[in-house]
Amino acid sequence: MPRDTRSPDGAVVEFENVSKTFHSPKGPVHAVNGLTMALRPGQTIAFLGPNGAGKSTSLNMLLGLSRPDSGRVALFGGTAAEAIKHGMVGAMLQSGGLMSDVTVREQVELWAKLHPRPIPVADALKRANIADLADRRVDKLSGGQQQRVQFAMAIIGDSPLIVLDEPTTGMDVENRQAFWATMRERAYEGKTVLFATHYLEEADQFAERVIVINKGRLLADGSASEIKASAGAKRLSFRLPGVQDAVLHRLPNLVHVERQADIVRLQTSDSDATLYALLDAGYRPADIEIQALGLEQAFLAITAEDNNHGTLEAAR
Amino acid sequence: MNATLTLTKLDVLRVLRNGRYLIFAIAMPAALYLIIGKQNTQADGVDFKAYYMLAMATYGAFAGALMNNSIRIATERKSGWTRQLRLTSLPGWGYVFAKVVTSLATTIPSVLVVFGIGAFLNHVEMPAWKWVANAVILWLVSMTFVSLAVAIGYRFDPETAQPAVMLTFFPMAILGGLWFPLGGTLEKIGKWFPTYQAHKLGTDILATGKISATSIGVVAAWGVLFALLAVASYRSAKEQ
Repeated sequence: MPRDTRSPDGAVVEFENVSKTFHSPKGPVHAVNGLTMALRPGQTIAFLGPNGAGKSTSLNMLLGLSRPDSGRVALFGGTAAEAIKHGMVGAMLQSGGLMSDVTVREQVELWAKLHPRPIPVADALKRANIADLADRRVDKLSGGQQQRVQFAMAIIGDSPLIVLDEPTTGMDVENRQAFWATMRERAYEGKTVLFATHYLEEADQFAERVIVINKGRLLADGSASEIKASAGAKRLSFRLPGVQDAVLHRLPNLVHVERQADIVRLQTSDSDATLYALLDAGYRPADIEIQALGLEQAFLAITAEDNNHGTLEAAR
Repeated sequence: MNATLTLTKLDVLRVLRNGRYLIFAIAMPAALYLIIGKQNTQADGVDFKAYYMLAMATYGAFAGALMNNSIRIATERKSGWTRQLRLTSLPGWGYVFAKVVTSLATTIPSVLVVFGIGAFLNHVEMPAWKWVANAVILWLVSMTFVSLAVAIGYRFDPETAQPAVMLTFFPMAILGGLWFPLGGTLEKIGKWFPTYQAHKLGTDILATGKISATSIGVVAAWGVLFALLAVASYRSAKEQ
């Protein structure tokens, strides 16, 4: 098992200053631009970013499907090809194909044979909630059902690293829940699970760690609550007739101010500090409400901020 | 190796289940032979029943080698299946190995079905060794079209692979005299095609028990050409 012997610091995945540029007719596109990150074993990590942020490009380099122009990508301290050959990686690609003219069971059985330490096929089918589809042709299934076949293929190798690109797209609510229940078991077994998703509530609920990238760079890295805090992800609202804008803008930890006649809505990274400062200044607001914002608002806030920042830089 | 063999086995099974293969490589030559083959005339010095049996077996073997795999390789490259395979312990050459073996395996039923109709329904007679020699030679020369399948599959998209197959294979089949015997200028052109010479290997064995160097030379030359194209397509596709 190369895991322990070859990577002294125990990182499952390492990206060190990785860049990848594509050349389009409109000029070069810096899909990934100096990305550095390390994933430790046993973590469940959500990989977030707006469309075109470089998520798929990063995952492709991670899996050795494409090479970085510069920088270093390592899996279990070695190359992706070696790790894959030793069955260290189970992956579910967004653009991954399935066979035609085969049944679900045949497809999953093939995958079991293509991995050195597979779990029993019946187990994989059951965990992916497709035992009842085992004798159906893969190419006759719906998109959500095919996702579940891919999921069975990702877990059958019993690999210590599981990489999932948009795993629940096209699944209904019930299957999405079954999917995450199984993923939680995997994580409990000490496997590292890295998933890219569009559903931010999934990242919020299931990931211990959230990595946000934008424009090919690392934007935020931490637990969901840390990211919400850093994004100013609390909303403080109150009624305060006649307060001047200048007073509000002087408050600490402020991210965003919104007024509607007497009602004031503040987005703040530390709602306590902001509120105390307002009280200390002698104001007595009414109808105070403090509301935690979801990861989705936090995500939108930090990527929007990053994009505006980029625009300002470009304007200079 | 175990992984590659598993994939190969499943690949063969898939082709045998596929409608397009069954129609073009088995049903069509068998039907044509049943409809056209029962004439009591002679062609190229042999009974027409035997002549047309060898023509249809050649057609079926080549169609079996070419049609399914070319389109399948193109489709599977596009759908992401070949990428998916790169995330397993399958060696890099495993996929194309499975496809080549599949092509070689799926030529066999076409030949056996047409030969079966010849022997049992149309009463074609020849010594046992000639049956065997003809089957083995057909199987060997169909490697030419196995290479062409790989060349087309790695060069074309799923949408264009099918027309590419039709536009290369049908003219070769017709000019090679597989569907009906040709004469005059068309036959002179046709002689340069592997389809014509592969068929002639069969009729020569039946008539004289010998094969000509010209036939072997023409088939081998096309075989080398298609193999070079296959390697070139494969390499340029891998670099993308």
